Amino acid sequence: MSKPILEMRGISKSFAGVQALNKVSFRCQAGLVYGLVGENGAGKSTLMKILAGVYKADAGDIIYKGQPRLSASTGEVIASGISIIYQELALVPQMSVAENIFLGREPRTSLGLLDLGRLHARSDQLLSRLGVALDTRSLVSQLTIAQQQLVEIAKALSQAADLIVMDEPSAILAGSELDQLFDIIAALKAQGVTIIYISHRLEEVFRIADEVTVLKDGEVVDSRPIGQLDRHTLVRLMVGRSLDEIFPQTDHEQGDLALIADDIATDTILDGVSLRLHAGEILGIAGMVGSGRTELARALFGADPLTRGEVRLVGEAPHWKTPSQAIRAGVALVPEDRKSQGLFTALSVRINITIPILSRLSRLGIVRRAREERVVSDAQQRLSIVMTSPEQETQYLSGGNQQKVVLAKWLETAPAVIILDEPTRGVDVGAKFEIYKLMRQLNDRGIAIIMISSELPEIIGMSDRILVMNDGRVAGQLLREDADEERIIELATLGGAEAQSA
Amino acid sequence: MSALGGSMRRGAGGRALFLRRNGPLIMVYAFILLLVVIGATQSERFLSERNLANVARQSAFLGIVALGQMLVILTAGIDLSVGSLVKVSILVSAIVMNGESANVVPAILATLALGVLVGLVHGFLINELRIAPFIVTLASLVILKGIGLTISSSPVGKASREVMMFYVQKVGPLPVIALMFFVLVILTMLLLRYTVFGKHLVAVGGNVEVAHLSGVPVKRTRYGVYVICSLTAAVTGLLWLSRMGVGDPAIGDGIELQTITAVIIGGTSLFGGRASVLGTLGGVLLLGITANLLVMLGVSQFIQGLIQGVIIVAAVALYKQEGD
Repeated sequence: MSKPILEMRGISKSFAGVQALNKVSFRCQAGLVYGLVGENGAGKSTLMKILAGVYKADAGDIIYKGQPRLSASTGEVIASGISIIYQELALVPQMSVAENIFLGREPRTSLGLLDLGRLHARSDQLLSRLGVALDTRSLVSQLTIAQQQLVEIAKALSQAADLIVMDEPSAILAGSELDQLFDIIAALKAQGVTIIYISHRLEEVFRIADEVTVLKDGEVVDSRPIGQLDRHTLVRLMVGRSLDEIFPQTDHEQGDLALIADDIATDTILDGVSLRLHAGEILGIAGMVGSGRTELARALFGADPLTRGEVRLVGEAPHWKTPSQAIRAGVALVPEDRKSQGLFTALSVRINITIPILSRLSRLGIVRRAREERVVSDAQQRLSIVMTSPEQETQYLSGGNQQKVVLAKWLETAPAVIILDEPTRGVDVGAKFEIYKLMRQLNDRGIAIIMISSELPEIIGMSDRILVMNDGRVAGQLLREDADEERIIELATLGGAEAQSA
Repeated sequence: MSALGGSMRRGAGGRALFLRRNGPLIMVYAFILLLVVIGATQSERFLSERNLANVARQSAFLGIVALGQMLVILTAGIDLSVGSLVKVSILVSAIVMNGESANVVPAILATLALGVLVGLVHGFLINELRIAPFIVTLASLVILKGIGLTISSSPVGKASREVMMFYVQKVGPLPVIALMFFVLVILTMLLLRYTVFGKHLVAVGGNVEVAHLSGVPVKRTRYGVYVICSLTAAVTGLLWLSRMGVGDPAIGDGIELQTITAVIIGGTSLFGGRASVLGTLGGVLLLGITANLLVMLGVSQFIQGLIQGVIIVAAVALYKQEGD
């Protein structure tokens, strides 16, 4: 066995007296792909931030390329060949691809001026190493998220990185984009680059990792070559719960028709979507990112004005035009991007939960504090939200607890229809399970659910029916019994015309 | 860090939160105390009832508008027009009043109506035409100032006797104007703490997209807050009339920056979503006492500006340290 490129030995770190990492050891051979998995709060990010030089370990050694590293600034770490690609991409949207790749290290002419020729040529070179065609002159703001991620990877390569950490790269990607990322990882691996791949999604780990390390509560539970693991074992290692329990089943009956959308279109990509939703069912919406799934959710909720068509609840007057009317009609939307659309991150749990129902909790415009308190404490108990107090700012909650706060907020509006856009994104397996269970409980109470998701196992495991979107239209509809990943991908990637069976 | 679950976090998190929320406040009031001590030891007149009443009144003049400004800033907006609106308000009220007691009520109503109108126009431009508050109110600053100076470049109109008397009236040792400000401080605290409108202000400033998707009437909230802010300026114009006795077009300049300064010193975030009424009160008092003290100590006016600037930078720099 060759010498490892990186060895982290007995790393411990605590924050304010709480042990985040306890004697964690982790080693990488050059040119392999390492999966780092574990629930939120398991310590994955902390470990990687120590590697990156963002945090300093309380104890333990880092040996990189045979040299012990005492402490290093983030800049020194990058210079030594370690690059970390965070989920929140660190690009300047107003600058071009090439300018971003070489930001702060721009090639210069002998006069000290920007050498644009070399800037673009070298960027081209890096991108072609990744096997992607991207105009180095286009602005980052005009790129898709997936393309932006490629720019980040190219940037890492430009810094001569031979160890790249990817922190949940798939959380912002869908379908074919993910395949592209995997191709790139394979290409990098072939070039001798070591990859540490952090993910919640086990399928991905099985597709690309050579070795998997499982962290739980700040300790390494196990570290094994992928060949010695299967899904069941891995899930059990991560959460101590087996896979069959992930998608809770109930044998509820489909209820009456609840919501009707007829040929709705908006100024966005959405172009004539009709759907029927029944009480107590989960209608899954699948499709690529950009296929109009999120736009459909916004249109149903009145967040984007309709240019044609209508949405209404059965037995009620015409549709609503604004979110506040939709809420009053009994429709709720849990948006895709929790941090920018779902939560007031700098505000308290209390206001986050009660904001849509303040008028119900108040008299003559004055909020009745006692009722507000009760709503928050009920919600906390019902969804078992872990927080220090109702005044805690939601940015300090874990992803799963943040999502529970968003769910709690919408459940308080007593909706008849809930639209969930990527309900389990950035949420660990344990919290995922709780959210699935909650969805089933809502079904049992007759609440109709529309669930948009990029995770096909989730779509197939949870939905009663599945609508597949493509290019702003419904490409097809599948019943749970007929649904499998291939059929869905086929519909999502084929033009709607061939598959117009809805 | 999500890794920091459990009960041990509670103590540290709670303490950090308390400091983060109240650190600026504690510092502002500590600084005020320091100024009072300096004043008391360096000048015999500083602690005289007469001087303290003056400080209280002057603080009220700035403070009432600062409260309006704070609410606007809480929604991640800004109102640069308040100074010019004070100017137009004192002119309009003086002209309408024209020294007659019978005209007091019409003058007050006309001035308040002007405030409502300006606030509605701001709300319209920001809500419906989606122009940034900075731009809208900058234009408004210039336009209102132009209107004011068109009305008159020398003092016009006249306050009635009762209105002039109002300036010196006291309840016990406390000037009525200062009392008025104090009541508004309390009302603003109650507004933010207990009313739906108050929570909507926080929500709009916290994240306007989330607020919209949560059913908060974003437009109505914005109309409301700009009207309130303009009303505080109109009221302050009336108070200035009571003090000056005539419609003096020199009044009002620079109030917008002073109010923003007071609000920032008080720890309210310019990015919205977080405001502190007590902080703003502290900021107002700090500015008022500093100005008063510097005059007492015979420091030149130009140096006063410099010192105010240093206070702003020092205050904000200290909050940053606390916040991290």
